[in-house]
Amino acid sequence: MFVIPSIHQRLVALAVGAFFMTAMACHADESGVPDFAMGGVGFLQAYCFDCHGSDEPEADLSLTEFTNSKSLISQRKTWDSILRMLSGGVMPPPDEKQPTPDEVAAFKKLIDAIFDHHDRTAPPDPGRVTMRRLNRNEYNNTIRDLVGVDFEPAEDFPSDDIGHGFDNIGDVLTLPPVLMERYLAAAEGIVNRAILPNPPESPRRVVSARYCEPAGKDVPTTRYRPISTTSDGTPIETGPLFTRYKIPAGEYIFRTKVFAEAAERQVVKLAVLACTSNPTDQSASDDVAATITGKAVEACRPFVLIDTIEVTARSEKEPQSIEVQIPRIEGFNRVAVGIVKSSDDAVDCKLHIEFLALEGPKDTRPDSHRRLLTCRPDASPSEQSREVLTRFATRAYRRPATDAEVERLGVLAQSAEQGGAKWEEAMQFAMQAVLVSPKFLFRVELDENSAGDVVTPLDDFQLAARLSYFIWSSMPDDQLFELAREGKLRTVLGEQVRRMLLDPKADALVENFAMQWLQVKRLETFAPDPEKFSYFNSRLQRAMLEETRQFFAAVMREDRSVMDLLAGDFTFLNQELSRHYNIGDTNGNPIYGKATREKGEPIRDREFVRVSLPADSVRGGLLTQSSILAVTSNPTRTSPVKRGKWVLEQLLGQPPPPPPPNVPELEVDGKELTGSLRERMEQHRANPACAACHRSMDSMGFALENFDPLGRWRDKDGEHPIDPSGELPGGESFAGPAELKQVLLTKRDLFARCLTEKMLTYALGRGLEYYDRLAVNRIVKSVEKDEYRFAAMVEGIVTSEPFVNRRGK
Amino acid sequence: MFGREISRRQTLRGLGVTLGLPWLEAMGPVSSWAEDTKPGQAAPNRMALLYVPNGKNMADWTPDTDGSDYELKSIMRPLAPHRDKMLVLTGLSADGANSHGDGGGDHARALAAFLTGAHPRKTDGTDIRNGISVDQIAASVAGSHTRLPSLEIGCEGGSMSGNCDSGYSCVYSSTMAWKSATQPLPKEVNPKVVFERMFSSLPNSKREQRDAKRKSILDFVREDAKDLSGKLGVNDVQKLDEYFTALRDIELRIERAAKLPPAETPDYPVPAGIPPTYEEHIRLMCDLMVLAFQTDATRVCSFVLANEGSNKSYSFIDVKEGHHELSHHGNNEDKKGKIAKINTFHTTQLAYLLEKLGSVEEGDATLLDHCMLAYGSGNSDGNRHNHDDLPIILAGGGCGTISTGRHIKYRNGTPLSNLWVSMLNRMEVDMDRVGDSSGALPGLADS
Repeated sequence: MFVIPSIHQRLVALAVGAFFMTAMACHADESGVPDFAMGGVGFLQAYCFDCHGSDEPEADLSLTEFTNSKSLISQRKTWDSILRMLSGGVMPPPDEKQPTPDEVAAFKKLIDAIFDHHDRTAPPDPGRVTMRRLNRNEYNNTIRDLVGVDFEPAEDFPSDDIGHGFDNIGDVLTLPPVLMERYLAAAEGIVNRAILPNPPESPRRVVSARYCEPAGKDVPTTRYRPISTTSDGTPIETGPLFTRYKIPAGEYIFRTKVFAEAAERQVVKLAVLACTSNPTDQSASDDVAATITGKAVEACRPFVLIDTIEVTARSEKEPQSIEVQIPRIEGFNRVAVGIVKSSDDAVDCKLHIEFLALEGPKDTRPDSHRRLLTCRPDASPSEQSREVLTRFATRAYRRPATDAEVERLGVLAQSAEQGGAKWEEAMQFAMQAVLVSPKFLFRVELDENSAGDVVTPLDDFQLAARLSYFIWSSMPDDQLFELAREGKLRTVLGEQVRRMLLDPKADALVENFAMQWLQVKRLETFAPDPEKFSYFNSRLQRAMLEETRQFFAAVMREDRSVMDLLAGDFTFLNQELSRHYNIGDTNGNPIYGKATREKGEPIRDREFVRVSLPADSVRGGLLTQSSILAVTSNPTRTSPVKRGKWVLEQLLGQPPPPPPPNVPELEVDGKELTGSLRERMEQHRANPACAACHRSMDSMGFALENFDPLGRWRDKDGEHPIDPSGELPGGESFAGPAELKQVLLTKRDLFARCLTEKMLTYALGRGLEYYDRLAVNRIVKSVEKDEYRFAAMVEGIVTSEPFVNRRGK
Repeated sequence: MFGREISRRQTLRGLGVTLGLPWLEAMGPVSSWAEDTKPGQAAPNRMALLYVPNGKNMADWTPDTDGSDYELKSIMRPLAPHRDKMLVLTGLSADGANSHGDGGGDHARALAAFLTGAHPRKTDGTDIRNGISVDQIAASVAGSHTRLPSLEIGCEGGSMSGNCDSGYSCVYSSTMAWKSATQPLPKEVNPKVVFERMFSSLPNSKREQRDAKRKSILDFVREDAKDLSGKLGVNDVQKLDEYFTALRDIELRIERAAKLPPAETPDYPVPAGIPPTYEEHIRLMCDLMVLAFQTDATRVCSFVLANEGSNKSYSFIDVKEGHHELSHHGNNEDKKGKIAKINTFHTTQLAYLLEKLGSVEEGDATLLDHCMLAYGSGNSDGNRHNHDDLPIILAGGGCGTISTGRHIKYRNGTPLSNLWVSMLNRMEVDMDRVGDSSGALPGLADS
């Protein structure tokens, strides 16, 4: 439903029990075009032209131009508003001549028929998305992927405004000056972290041999610490000596000072070993390891043998200084010195070591620095700048940067260099400019030539950006860029969707789409009555959100049917929630009460585990998750109205109309309402103005009354036993969450449509319009064919008309 | 100096006092005033606008009699020490907040219409439209004298999900300041960030360097973005305009900063972040407002104590239900009592602010005397959602232009915007209409 029908229009529809209407418009006669000239014009003449004629019309609205059906089509919004005024009884004004209710109904039916006919026969209209400013999440993620610094630079940005339920809607995302200020500051912070024009000197770490491993009370405290080749020595006596570091990867210089105690002619060789956390290609084999003496050799493995050096020094007075280059080795975390076994093992010898010293990494620039400033070393300085800036601007703008753009950035950098800046600083400066450019801050989809209502396909770069911001809330990765460059993206969209959903970055779709769709982010500020719910704390609150997050992520990553969201027989719990739900193990058996299934693993940790739920479990599906049950409650009590409204809005896409203004006070004959919550609400519904809508909302909410405001199961609310029964206006009756779920499952088409609409809104970054109905129908149909699989829905969206095409400007 | 990060609570505990941060008294008047204050006047006029949501329990608000002998009802009782420094105004109305055929959404409209006198367009996002707010009109003139044209602060950020009120975008129910009909200004809720905006953490020389760099970057992007023209749709162009307006705003600020005397950063611990309790949060924000006026960082400040329709629980004053939920009290006396309790909590915070403003000496008078502070809600009775006879207080002497200490009853339906016109005129803004006003509000100066 894309056009919001007026309150009364809906009230009428609701009152006659047609609650689950599948389309708002009434259906026109298939054989012909409904004709506005017949009847429509007459109505306007009779009731409207006095004020809305051609001569100085009220509210600048002249209705005389509407002479035939076609003339209405282009003014759809005007007509929505006219219908709203008319059926709301606002127009004609009370002191003017009034049409009869039948006349109003007939007129409305005619207008609906005209638009409905148009929607079914009009050529497809992909609509047009207003260019979207990166929201806070997108900004953080894009910086992480573009620059390689992950420090949430958007933390202090003002919060993004929300429209149509999401915070990524182009029209709604504004750019107030205070945000521009933050962008400037963030750009400075980012380039200063990513690039170090004056990298610090390599740190040096020196450890005296006596403090090296192997350690123990037998380690001599002399300045030089000996290790020997004696075969019956302990690890402390025989070495090798090694030390632990917490060091970044890179090239190092190792230094030590030694002398040998051995026969004059005896050759003593020391070995320098680079120990690693895990085996690598270069790791010493067993044979090589066997060439090193000492009981501690095994403790050093895996290691890379860096070098062996003959020790010629024979006295402490004239020691030998040794310096060895250690290349970049994956997982390098310790350095060791041992004695190499010699052929004349007959005579033991000793090696005296003063210290182990490590200098490095040689290159102290962060990875981001090297990556961003990589360029051909043999190119001229201006070519190097060009290479660096082309790469950066292309990725930042999510399309090939033009020559002119790179040229201008080059000039900007040059001006900095002329002012005395180093090359690295000049690059920083130009990158700062890129990071505050509208071409970066907005997802601009440039139109080269099209105009008017021409349907234009997006180019592959634009499509790649839409895809990656939809699923990852971030910029395209190398593979998407590559496919776009080759012009192949359109042909592999399905494949890419599946790849992208499995990528850890797809967590963004859970966090930003699902959590907003379900409205559970409000839980972060939810504060239940601390006396009634003293056990509520931030750990439980975080656990509630995490369950929903992991549950949705499982449906997404395992490509399950989206119907599992309604009634899945599994969930994810940690200790906190397992107590809250009285579920003790991974097979869903209760903590207190009789187990109905084989025992599973107990749930004991803060970590979440997957729990399979028995068929008779009261849990299963979003509706039974405490995050949702709490967020639809008031601080002291449940709110069946809010819960029912949530089901209608978020799951079925049938939002009840807003309450009329100036709601009559909640009282009957001046008396206060009394009794259980249900009884009080039933008294309230005695008022026919409220009853029409509340009957559906309340009955769905009452089915969930066994869940308290925090989602805990209860049989009584205070002194009142819970009555979870309800009946929809259509006559369907149910009691309790399980039966409510069954009712919802009979409306799976509505749920699939609702989820499609929400996801399409999020993917496009605009509210849906009447012309999107066709695309939604198609997506829903294709998802249904594919057993409602999650990936099928995402694929349906990214291949839909409004996602891959755009109306001309 | 900036290494020390101490929360307000710690500061207060450390000093063993409950009011008065040391820097407030220690700071003298600001030299830059000399050029634009009137002869004989120690300081310029300032404008503060404070909003509280969900209306009031009006029976405990509206004084029974008007004139100077009125008696304070229970909600206003905490303001007793400031009775002589304020006016109670009744009968004012925000007609823009009425439905005018748009159905429900009184909360969203109440805040959106409060300072704009406009009827906000009902939309869930696309084509947001309201009107320019009075603080921004004032800022467009008074802002040229200060580093920040205006300050927008609050205690609740934008809403975190959904449409907030019957089909109105959340922006309406969370934003009071509008730079233009289509440009809402989000409020800052983190005291640390507010402080850093007022007093950059850089020394002056470094700040000049940074500003120069920023300026050349802004010049560059303006030039560079020219190649977008002709390749964008109508709405895109609107967004780009927004971008350039923001950009221009920063440039002006940089230019102004270059002309103003160097910013004196008070020797004051930077707030660590959002304080743990709501009351401390409000009070720290109040302190920052006082500091902003005192150091002439700005002369215009709007402060939303909670978003309109807020369902915050006030369990710390023993009101456990949500505020909004309670405001639909159905004439239940118990609920009405709780609403009054919340209302009184808010006026207690107002009393704190007035006390602070009154304790800062400026010449022979105080900051409060050189200030106009309007406090109120765009809803009258939260149960009825009516937008007439709004609860409004106007505090401060407005540099001797307001004769305080009275309750003035206006004919019900008098546009609230008339008050804004009167306040603007006292901020040297020569306008006789804003929003739906019908003129200036009479009687503020007469006693």
